[in-house]
Amino acid sequence: MTVGLGVEAAIEKEPAAPSNPLVAALDRSLAALNRIIVVFSSVALVAASLILSYSVVIRYALKASTYWQDEASVFLIVAAVFLSSASVQARRGHVGIEAVVGLLSERTNRIRRVLVDVASFFFCAFFAWKSWTLLHEAWVDGQVSGSTWAPPLWIPYSLMTIGMALLSIQIFLQIAGALLPAGYRK
Amino acid sequence: MSVLAIGLLYGGATIAVMMIGVPIAFALGLVAIIFMMFFMPSASLDTVTQNVYEEMASITLLSIPLFILKGAAIGRSRAGQDLYSALHVWMHRIPGGLGIANVFACALFAAMAGSSPATCSAIGSAGIPEMRKRGYSGGFAAGIIAAGGTLGILLPPSITMILYAVASEQSLGRLFLAGIGPGMLLVTLFALYAMFRYRLEHRRASAAFDLGGEKSELLREDNLTMRDRFAALPRVLPFVILLTGVMIALYGGFATPSETAGLGAVLAFALIAIIYRVWTWGELEPILVATLRESTMLMMIIGMSLLYSYVMSYLHISQSAAAWIVSLHLSKWILLAMILLMVIVLGFFLPPVSIILMTAPIILPPLRAAGFDLIWFGIAMTIVMEMGLIHPPVGLNIFVIKNIAPDISLSEIIWGTLPFVILMAIAVVILAVAPEIATWFPNLVMSKGR
Repeated sequence: MTVGLGVEAAIEKEPAAPSNPLVAALDRSLAALNRIIVVFSSVALVAASLILSYSVVIRYALKASTYWQDEASVFLIVAAVFLSSASVQARRGHVGIEAVVGLLSERTNRIRRVLVDVASFFFCAFFAWKSWTLLHEAWVDGQVSGSTWAPPLWIPYSLMTIGMALLSIQIFLQIAGALLPAGYRK
Repeated sequence: MSVLAIGLLYGGATIAVMMIGVPIAFALGLVAIIFMMFFMPSASLDTVTQNVYEEMASITLLSIPLFILKGAAIGRSRAGQDLYSALHVWMHRIPGGLGIANVFACALFAAMAGSSPATCSAIGSAGIPEMRKRGYSGGFAAGIIAAGGTLGILLPPSITMILYAVASEQSLGRLFLAGIGPGMLLVTLFALYAMFRYRLEHRRASAAFDLGGEKSELLREDNLTMRDRFAALPRVLPFVILLTGVMIALYGGFATPSETAGLGAVLAFALIAIIYRVWTWGELEPILVATLRESTMLMMIIGMSLLYSYVMSYLHISQSAAAWIVSLHLSKWILLAMILLMVIVLGFFLPPVSIILMTAPIILPPLRAAGFDLIWFGIAMTIVMEMGLIHPPVGLNIFVIKNIAPDISLSEIIWGTLPFVILMAIAVVILAVAPEIATWFPNLVMSKGR
C-alpha cells in the first residue's frame, strides 16, 4: 500500500474465543466456513490473474477478440473480496482509527468497543438486506449486465449478499460474545 | 437546511463515528446511509447496493487485489534480500554505499511490489541488521528503510495512483509514467542524504578512534572483487525482467493496466516457483491469505468511500465546497499549499486511499480552475501522502520498522525518519518549480491526447 495500508504489517491477532458456549459454537462453525471461503477466494484471485493473462495472449498471439475476460475477472474478484470480509472481521482486520483507545479507561473502552460493533452491525446488516432485495429483483426480472457477453447479474449480487450477510453474522457473534454472561450453560 | 449546514453535519458526523473507532469502511457507509435516510428521496436507499456495485465493478479498481497479490508473492520470497545484497556488492565502494544500496533496493522492490509496508519489511529485514552491524546508527538505518519504502506508492504500479486515476478521470498509464521522474528525484535526494549522513557518522567514528576509542565497524573496508559483483547479478536479473516485461506489456500497448496486474501476478508466481522453489500449498497459503486480508479491507474502504462521495455530491456538498474554494480567489500557489496542508492533516488519521476518494470531488475542480495539470497534482499529492507514512501518529512504515527491529526505540526511528520527511517536502517544492520532472516522461512515451 501500498499498498497503501498493509494488513500484513498490522499485528496479527488470533481472535479470543467467546466465553459463552452457544456463541463459541456458532463462532467455531463460522470460522470453519471462513476457512473454506479463504481457499475458494484464493483460487478466485489466481483464476482472475490467469484469465487476464490469457486475454493478453489470445489477443496478440491468436488475434482473437476478448469480450468476457474483464467481466469474468470482475466477478471473481468481487467474490473474493465480499466473501472473505467476514474472515477479515473475525481478526478485526477492517482498520479503524483507534486514537482514543489510550485516553479511555478499560471499562469505557469495553463499552466503546460494543458501540463500535453495534454501529458496524447496523450498517452491514442494512447493506446485506439491500443486497438481498437487489439480488431478488435481478433474479425475478432476469437482469443481465450491459456488455456484449451479458452475464446474469444475480451472480455478483448473490456473492455480495452472501458476503455481507456472513459479515453481519460475524459482527453479531462478536457483540453477543462481549455481552452474554460467560456462565451460561445448557 | 442549507447546504452549508448539511455539509458541516456530514463532516462532523464522519469525524465522530470514525473517532470512536468504527472501522473506516463501515463508518463511511454508515454516515452515508444515515444522511440518505434524512436528506435524500427514499428510493435512493433502495439502490444503495446497486450504486456501490456499479462503482466498484470496474476492472481498473478491481485490479488492485491482483497488484497486491503480485507484491505479496515477491514480498514473501527471498527476493528482497537477494536484490539488496546484489546492489550492495556493486555499490560498496561509494561512501555510504551500503545505505545507498538500501535506497535503491527499496525503490526497485517498491516498483515490483507496489506496497510501502511490504517493501519496508522485505528490504528492511535484511538491510537494517546489516547496516547496524556495519556501524550505522539505528535511527539512520530505520530512516533509510522507512523512507525508501514509501516509494512504493509513487513508482508504478502504485495502488494509490490507480485510485487517483479513477477519482480524477486521468489516464492511469500517464500517471504511472509521471511517477517515475519524481521517484528518481526522491531516490537521488535520499541517496545524497545517505552519503552526507554516512560521512558525518564516519568522521565522528574516526575522531573517536583517533582519540583512542573503539574502532567502529564503520571504519572497516570491504574488499569485494569483480567476480563477486558478477556472481551477484543472476539473482536480480529475473526480477528486472519481470519489472521491465510488465512495463513493456503495458506501454507497448499489449495489455491494459488491469491485464498487466494479472500478468504480473502470474509471472511473479512463476518466478518464485522457479527460483525459490515456492510452490507447495503450505508455502503459497500465507501469500494468498495475506493478499485476501489486505485486499478485502482495502476494497471495502474503497467501495464505501465511493458511496460516501456519491452522497456528498448528491447533496451538493462537494460542489458547494469546491465553488466556495474557487470563490476565495486564492493565488495559485497558496491554493496548492492549503490543499496539500489539508492532505497532510488528513494523513494523520486516514490511509491514502480514503483521502483520495473523499477529497477528490472537492479539491480537484478548484485546482483545475487554477490551471494545475491534474496528473502533476496527483504526483505532488502522492508524495505528500508518502510523508504521512513515515511521520507520527499513524506513520505505518514506522511501525513496520519497529516490528522488524524491535531494539531500535520508537523515538530513534522517528528522529531518523524526520530528515526524509523534510527531503520529501523539498521534492514537492522542486516539482512545483520544475513540473517537467513529472510530465516530461509521459509526454515522451504517450501521445498528448491519450
